[in-house]
Amino acid sequence: MGMQGDFYQVLKEQGYVLGVSGEAGAHQHLTTATTILAFKYLDGVLVAGDRRATAGNLVMYDRTDKVLEIDRHSVMAIAGVPATAYEMARILEHSFKYYRRTQLQELSFEGKLRALSKLLKENIPAALAGTGAVVPIFAGYDSEHDAAKIYFYDILGAEFEGVEYAVSGSGSPTIRGILHYVNTWGEQPLSEMPEEQATVQALRLLTSAAEFDSATGGVNRDANLYPVVKFITTAGVRTIPDSQLRSLFELNVCRGL
Amino acid sequence: MYEEPYRWIEAIGNRRQYLDGQFRQGSPVIGIGWDAGILLMTTSKGTPKLYEIYDRLALGGMGHPADLEKLRFHLLEMAHVEGFNRSPSDVTGGRIVKYGIAPVIKQAFEEVFKAPFIVKILLAELGQKVEKDRFLTVNFDGTFEEKSQYAVLAASPAIEQEMAAYLRQQSVVSLEQAVNVAVCSWAVGDRAQRQTLEESRDQLKGQDAPARLASDSDLLYEHIRQCMHGMTIECALLDRHVPVSSKYRALAPDELERLLPNDLGHPTT
Repeated sequence: MGMQGDFYQVLKEQGYVLGVSGEAGAHQHLTTATTILAFKYLDGVLVAGDRRATAGNLVMYDRTDKVLEIDRHSVMAIAGVPATAYEMARILEHSFKYYRRTQLQELSFEGKLRALSKLLKENIPAALAGTGAVVPIFAGYDSEHDAAKIYFYDILGAEFEGVEYAVSGSGSPTIRGILHYVNTWGEQPLSEMPEEQATVQALRLLTSAAEFDSATGGVNRDANLYPVVKFITTAGVRTIPDSQLRSLFELNVCRGL
Repeated sequence: MYEEPYRWIEAIGNRRQYLDGQFRQGSPVIGIGWDAGILLMTTSKGTPKLYEIYDRLALGGMGHPADLEKLRFHLLEMAHVEGFNRSPSDVTGGRIVKYGIAPVIKQAFEEVFKAPFIVKILLAELGQKVEKDRFLTVNFDGTFEEKSQYAVLAASPAIEQEMAAYLRQQSVVSLEQAVNVAVCSWAVGDRAQRQTLEESRDQLKGQDAPARLASDSDLLYEHIRQCMHGMTIECALLDRHVPVSSKYRALAPDELERLLPNDLGHPTT
């Protein structure tokens, strides 16, 4: 089976047990909560996420990276239990590399979507027991169709295309409404925004989510703490440096705060 | 009949002779390291012979394509499972050669009732620093050697030494120079292989062997030009300075054309 370029299968043959048991720790406080978002802008797709990890009402960590680069052209933003989500990201990263190296070609975008769906499906028992629920957004550049695309999932592994935008995590209901409003009645639709304007929009959205959701981390200027913002274009994945986020935040987001 | 020890030794001897014969017309493989990374170079007729194995590991091979493919998968699987279970930085060339493929090749070579692997392997490993760059070569009998700076695969140890002697005299500071030196070194090896073939034919006919040609670059370029019909120059790079974890990339034909000396670029297309 390994000859088919399926790393997931290779892991199984090696006796690697994926996911966690549905029984253990069902009543513990697990690290969780998030706001992640992705929307199409002028040159491709923007993916952003806050950086707070919580367990119950305890802030575990304020520098979590929830927008994970899986390969040069795709990104998985994670909402839910980080332990399971990071494991999924690691499997995906190795799977895509393994496929590329064995088959001497990139895995198709559709193949990448299915790979994540498969992992979520395997994780259903843990998700239902409350120990490993992950609700990710997957965004990437589809070279067959020459377009950057966004997909979001439910915990059972169903995939849905976010034609214009997608949100996930505990803070997402707040910004879903804002995204709809901005996209429909704003000065211009999201997909026509240039890079800088899209970044400002993402910073404002995450700041709004943090305002209403205690489990979403906002911006902490004293600690030089900003969300993670990545762009996916035909050239691949690019991360916006903190220095740029800082100046954009001070010029365009601070006004109302 | 191989139960008797001397029969077994005889069988191994025959096998060695058979395998030596199999590589006589193969294309040499060259690996050169310098500050910016590692270059692997060979020529092929369609089927590629340079491959990405892991983030910092590349493979070059000589021999039977099916055997090379089988071992390539073996290496890929081992490297990925190791990198997944531990960390990508724990996947080292030394480990996967010494514990992975070298024993497999040795076993196949010594089991005289089964087919041996008709393959020679060069594994290049890009270190975190230049001093840590390594090359591992594995022979068809499973013996392996570890080298730094450069390594080659050719039909026989004598020809490999000839190529290494050429490489020792060269200095490489840029990709362009690396490509140039690799191509010339390939020509040194390939010419020596062809001459060895001719010598053995002449000996059969009872004629004197032709004298070896000097190794100046014009003659080497001329040799490559003559060989280029229906053949492609293949180059792959482990680039130390790319910001992503995977350091491997194959040089595209147009990039290679720009880097190749004189008019050698054109026959590759």
